[in-house]
Amino acid sequence: MGAILNPLYDLVSGVIIIFHKLLTPVFGADSGVTWSLSIVGLVILIRIILIPLFVKQIKSQRALTALQPHMKAIQNKYKDDRQKQSEEMMKLYKEHKTNPLASCFPIIAQAPIFFALFTVLNGIAAKNDAGVPAPIARGFLKGEYLESASQATFFGAKISQSFLGSPDTTVKIVTVILIFIMSATTFTTQRQLMVKGMPKMDSSNNMMLQQQKIMLYLFPVIFAVSGVNFPVGVLIYWSTTNFWTWGQQYYVIKRNPTPGSPAYEELQQKRKHKEKQENREQSGTVIDPENTEPDQMGEVKGQRKQPKKKKKK
Amino acid sequence: MRGLIVFLINLYQKWISPAFPARCKYYPSCSSYAASAISNYGFRGIFMTIWRLMRCNPWSHGGVDYAVKPLQTIQKTSVGVN
Repeated sequence: MGAILNPLYDLVSGVIIIFHKLLTPVFGADSGVTWSLSIVGLVILIRIILIPLFVKQIKSQRALTALQPHMKAIQNKYKDDRQKQSEEMMKLYKEHKTNPLASCFPIIAQAPIFFALFTVLNGIAAKNDAGVPAPIARGFLKGEYLESASQATFFGAKISQSFLGSPDTTVKIVTVILIFIMSATTFTTQRQLMVKGMPKMDSSNNMMLQQQKIMLYLFPVIFAVSGVNFPVGVLIYWSTTNFWTWGQQYYVIKRNPTPGSPAYEELQQKRKHKEKQENREQSGTVIDPENTEPDQMGEVKGQRKQPKKKKKK
Repeated sequence: MRGLIVFLINLYQKWISPAFPARCKYYPSCSSYAASAISNYGFRGIFMTIWRLMRCNPWSHGGVDYAVKPLQTIQKTSVGVN
């Protein structure tokens, strides 16, 4: 087990130490700000590495417009059998070698990093049998770094302490606030996607209610139950990664929304409006926006309007 | 042991997974695959699950992939069409 975990400890602690070195001239070596931002740095680095995967997924989602007729046909054919529907859908994606789904592995792959951070931070707060602090060095977090990290605070709470592991009221307050932030960001991210980011579907309303219920009631409970065992540093990691997810999604919904979604329609209208104004400014005459080619409206490729056939007399 | 793992997977499917957008590239999803692989093959099913999760990556095209082939005799779709 150590053969797998030790490189992970090295990786996590190494990245944190590098950010710590970079930030020391700004905030000082022993400052809690330096240590907290080093954890944030770890998140940012991981999420930047994951961006190409996200872009790839968005691209294959957009490529789906071409498959729309096939998908409609499948939905109609297997109206009453959701399972058969999704089975045929997956077959279709495979045939056309474009799968819009994000895939499971990246999530699973992040879990060991999270676990390693948890262990590294818990090591800082370790105590011996007599209850005397005896920090355990893991990876590159040793010597003076370990000493400094064990004293580092985030809004007055030591980053290695957890809600259950510390009698300190400040730690309890900070962890509760962080757990609340985690629940709130997860909820808003999901809600934003459901309300604005997805093409309208007949069944989505019911699903949305179900999801929001789970988000509102169950997730805070799950976060609270697990969060009380996590050191403040892990909660910082989790909250930051949630903020990142939200921001990334916000950007995509604003700039490059899924065709057919409410956000897409909003953007199209905005573009139309802008074009109208520009035309007015340039030539002084109003060009009928209906007559401009849809292809000129930026890079978003929606479905082209089919020209209507005129009846011959 | 098998029962416990399958129970945990079912809990995930009922209470956690629905809150997030679908992300699995396969049918059945990785969690369904895991449940059927582990309940049918036990320890071997765990390795099948790990292999499945590794195949469900950003470069894969997904598709239909059962842990245990379903019986072809039951064709729900042919019922009630006429």
